[in-house]
Amino acid sequence: MAVAQQRVPVEERLFSLVLALLATEIGLTKSEILSTVQGYRQRYVAEGDNANLERQFERDKDDLRELGVPIETLDSPGQAGNNQQLRYRIPRGSYELPLDVRFTPEETTLLNLAGRVWREGSLSTESRRALLKLRSLGVDPDEPLLGYAPRVRVRDAAFEPAATAIERRQIISFPYLKPGERQAQLRLVKPLALIAHEGRWHLFAEQVEGGETRTFLLRRIVGPIKATGKTFVPPPGDQSQRGLDELEEIWRSRVAVVDADPGTDAAMRLANRRGTVRDDGRLTVHYADLAILADELTGYGPEVRVVSPPELVSAVQQRLERIVADHGGADA
Amino acid sequence: MPEKTPQPGARDKLAFLLALTPYLLDHEHVTVRETARHFGVPESQVREAVRLIAVSGVPGETSFYQHEDLFDIDWDAFEEHDEIAVTNRVAIDEAPRFSGKEAAALIAGLQYLSSLPEIADRAAVGSLLAKLQRGSSAQPSPVAVQSQDPDATLALLRRAAAEGRRVEFDYVGGRGQLEHRSVDPLRVESADATWYLRGWDHSREAVRTFRLDRIGEARLSEEASTHRAAEVALPETLFTATDDDLFVTIDVDPSALPLLADYLPEGTTTEGENGRRRATVRVSHHAGLKRLIASMPGLATVVSPAEARDAVAEWARAGLDRYREAGE
Repeated sequence: MAVAQQRVPVEERLFSLVLALLATEIGLTKSEILSTVQGYRQRYVAEGDNANLERQFERDKDDLRELGVPIETLDSPGQAGNNQQLRYRIPRGSYELPLDVRFTPEETTLLNLAGRVWREGSLSTESRRALLKLRSLGVDPDEPLLGYAPRVRVRDAAFEPAATAIERRQIISFPYLKPGERQAQLRLVKPLALIAHEGRWHLFAEQVEGGETRTFLLRRIVGPIKATGKTFVPPPGDQSQRGLDELEEIWRSRVAVVDADPGTDAAMRLANRRGTVRDDGRLTVHYADLAILADELTGYGPEVRVVSPPELVSAVQQRLERIVADHGGADA
Repeated sequence: MPEKTPQPGARDKLAFLLALTPYLLDHEHVTVRETARHFGVPESQVREAVRLIAVSGVPGETSFYQHEDLFDIDWDAFEEHDEIAVTNRVAIDEAPRFSGKEAAALIAGLQYLSSLPEIADRAAVGSLLAKLQRGSSAQPSPVAVQSQDPDATLALLRRAAAEGRRVEFDYVGGRGQLEHRSVDPLRVESADATWYLRGWDHSREAVRTFRLDRIGEARLSEEASTHRAAEVALPETLFTATDDDLFVTIDVDPSALPLLADYLPEGTTTEGENGRRRATVRVSHHAGLKRLIASMPGLATVVSPAEARDAVAEWARAGLDRYREAGE
């Protein structure tokens, strides 16, 4: 086949790189790749300066890794430590989906639904690609009996920078505004996981000073997340599960008692809340964050009266007073 | 549901090539049309990808991409019958693994959906999660969504849809009054932590949206449903604007704008007072507005009309009265 001399499209170069690296057992050196693989070879200068092409190769490797294509580097025999003689390959076993990982139509249906949950941001890009790979297996999903249209919008500006810092294992700092405080405090942490709990996103992280773990509500990160330039090694184990367990423990241990008038919006919604115990009009509810529960209860206006704890009672009263004052009502 | 897919970049095109190739190897003589349907992409995208695959390969022993080092297809079948048959294959055999981030996105999505009756079988979901872990090329990224218990109302809605029956329930309407409803379930939707039922409301003779956490005492009706999902065109947005909507001007702290996104479909705001943003929201009645504004103390203030402003102040004042009458 004739070699086309015109510009090779980027996807053709990347695809050819994957094919070449998959096909080699012993690996290819960088100069072998640049001089022979489609998309590079057209621009390769024998015995000349290929610095631009080398940088292109580095960026292409990042693109492949981003898609989950594992690239392995090996020393050439007898050339250990010689960077120019490093050999690159894609180990077939780490690239291909194992043969025992296949999905039934029911599982395919669930995964399709799970992938459609994310409608914006990096999670939606990732899940779209994951579903593409799933379709590669050729299984058609079952049509669900009742249509579902789940949708999670990750609207916290801190989400993407936090996800990047976790992936790169960077120690970060950010201004964090605790409820009731006027000034945000600068926090210095090792980010471990992103966790959605009761519909809100949290960053689970280890504080550099003291070393204890904490969860930070993303919406209270009020300024930019900055990388300090230092990296860290995350502790072993499932960090997102650890973070979820910590939040869940806090949620379990905090209990509020409220009276809600039967038949009202407040009574219905508080009763339908996870973990609520109802005793006539008196409801016992769990919460993770007092300020957030106080905001919600304030929204119910006269439909609820908080019984305990006392700090929740005063938090709700203060909020109601604030609403009255902000809306020009004299509180007679 | 139709969704906007962005114009694919080179990375996305590569992802498509790596997914399409093993599919074609498994399906001898598959049509372009069927392939496009399966992947949910335009037929032109399939043809373009097939043309590229058909001329791609490995440098081979000669380093010159000889014929046997390239993929090949039955060109006659492709050009004349729009059929794809790979006749020579190189390098690729199987579907690729998920990346750590891709696996994490699916796992977190499954966790988010854990209140659905389809996910009630925890052993089956456990085995699915294990497969995703085994099938990814790196440890899934640490992103997690708290799992929920299976939801009884969702289970009931699914049963109603399966048996073609209505559901009946008590519902607290937007104005705060408790009503009895009889509904044909059409679709379940969610927005973050809030779940909705969209269904045909027999008392209103129209499609209505119900918040699941405002539904009480739900049960299967003896009556058959008269409307099915396939026959009713549901509007894309959960809440539809009507001519009766009221326009209310509010000042909002910029940090709280995301909380109001549902009420600001156009998302336009102007400069307000004290560094706040001024926005106009449309609401069906002031009763809903006072709840929303009161749940954002210190972050949002109604500017006009006076009637809306008074409604919010009155709501909060009545709330404060609850503590006075209790003598505390």
